[in-house]
Amino acid sequence: MKYWNPFLETLPRKELNKIELGYFRNILSYAKAHTLLYREKLKEITPDDIKTLDDIKKIPFTDKEELRRYQENPPYPYGGILGVDIEKITTFRQTSGTTGKPVYVPESYESWQWRIEAWCHILYMAGFRPRHRIFLPFGYNVYVAFWEAHYASEKLGCELIPGGALDTKGRIHKVIETRANGMMNTPTYGLHIAEEARKMGIEPASLGIERMLCAGEPMPSATRLKLEEIYRCDVYDHIGGTEPCAWAGMCEAKDGMHIIEPFFLVEILDRETLQREVKEGEIGVAVVTPLGRRSFPLIRFNTKDLVIKGEGSCPCGRTSGKIREVVGRTDDLRKVRGVLFSPKTVEEVIRKGFQEIEEFEIIVERRGLMDVISLRAEVNSQLPIGSIEQTKGRLLESLKIATNLSFNVIMEPPGSLPRYMLKAKRFRDMREGDKNE
Amino acid sequence: MNEQIRKEIERLEESAIKLRALGQENPSILKNAEIILTFVYILKFITPVTGKAEN
Repeated sequence: MKYWNPFLETLPRKELNKIELGYFRNILSYAKAHTLLYREKLKEITPDDIKTLDDIKKIPFTDKEELRRYQENPPYPYGGILGVDIEKITTFRQTSGTTGKPVYVPESYESWQWRIEAWCHILYMAGFRPRHRIFLPFGYNVYVAFWEAHYASEKLGCELIPGGALDTKGRIHKVIETRANGMMNTPTYGLHIAEEARKMGIEPASLGIERMLCAGEPMPSATRLKLEEIYRCDVYDHIGGTEPCAWAGMCEAKDGMHIIEPFFLVEILDRETLQREVKEGEIGVAVVTPLGRRSFPLIRFNTKDLVIKGEGSCPCGRTSGKIREVVGRTDDLRKVRGVLFSPKTVEEVIRKGFQEIEEFEIIVERRGLMDVISLRAEVNSQLPIGSIEQTKGRLLESLKIATNLSFNVIMEPPGSLPRYMLKAKRFRDMREGDKNE
Repeated sequence: MNEQIRKEIERLEESAIKLRALGQENPSILKNAEIILTFVYILKFITPVTGKAEN
């Protein structure tokens, strides 16, 4: 079977719109009736005001700061975002808290199962089937992503191996021992496992991983292709977040990501006004409404994810909307010497053309009145010392072309930069309190 | 096809509601009936009646 849900995944656009409009009105009505946040926020709006999908623009966005504020209300710890009786909550999750106080996410059994059903689409689209034995090389902790992966794999009928309480070497041994043929990880950690395996004298391709699903970080296509080459396997991507759930995934055509419809209503709006739906090929901000999750209803959540809107059709036959690429987070975009800069561009340059660079870090500082952008590039041990200057020269040139910025490139010896297990922190803006957005 | 599935889901819902009522003094029956109703909710969500959207 090609689709997880052949009926939903091939519905004509018009039908999808009609269903999503109905679902949107339902969740709006539910959120107003059951949460303090939306009772106060949407006092003046009723579901009857929403007659077309265009009408949803009348509704203000929800953002993370607002969720944090309403959580200050009782009942602890969820406060005014809670959409069901607190006794119905069966699972506590939270955001990472990297941009401030974490948001505590209340999941009832129903909402969690709804979320897992949506996630099954992501796995199935990426070709995972019951014959797969999937290794998850993380301790899941209170963070949502790998719990979702775990439960969705189980629902799909895959065999799941949780690889939490092990170090990287232990995980490599466990993959070999169990003959796992699937893996889910951050792209960064996928590269790190490969590096460690080679140090152990094991060629990553010999691990037998057939399919890999990546999460947690924007993944440039050059990184995805690099992982495919290293592991000789198919690598897929998806996008989501703790608050809105995982809302789009890659099919076997590997050409952008399908929005999981009608679970989510996704608007891709222009960065400047957040009012206009962008056209195909344009960059926009993803605004997401999960349409059936009742324990934590979210209406028009501004994810701050920057994505490129994709084409309306796909060779796989799915009719859902698509995003072509995840560009990054609006939080990560910086102006450096007046030029809008995204760290993802640097990763794309390195993974595409510089196999000899193992790890990197970008630092922006202000020296006097001048912004200085530096790249610390760690070379691998195979690069002859005599070639380092040549690599540096090529890097300077490629970065200038890709970003329109002149970098200060510092070549670092093998093993000198930190390695990451979950989300990599390769970008540091040292200009205090100055995000220049 | 979807209509037929919908009818079966509704029958399942009716049974689970009855089971829940019967299980008021038995936490295990009660919880399992509620779990069936959770999946009834999801089944309904993934089989919308086309032409008139509903949840």
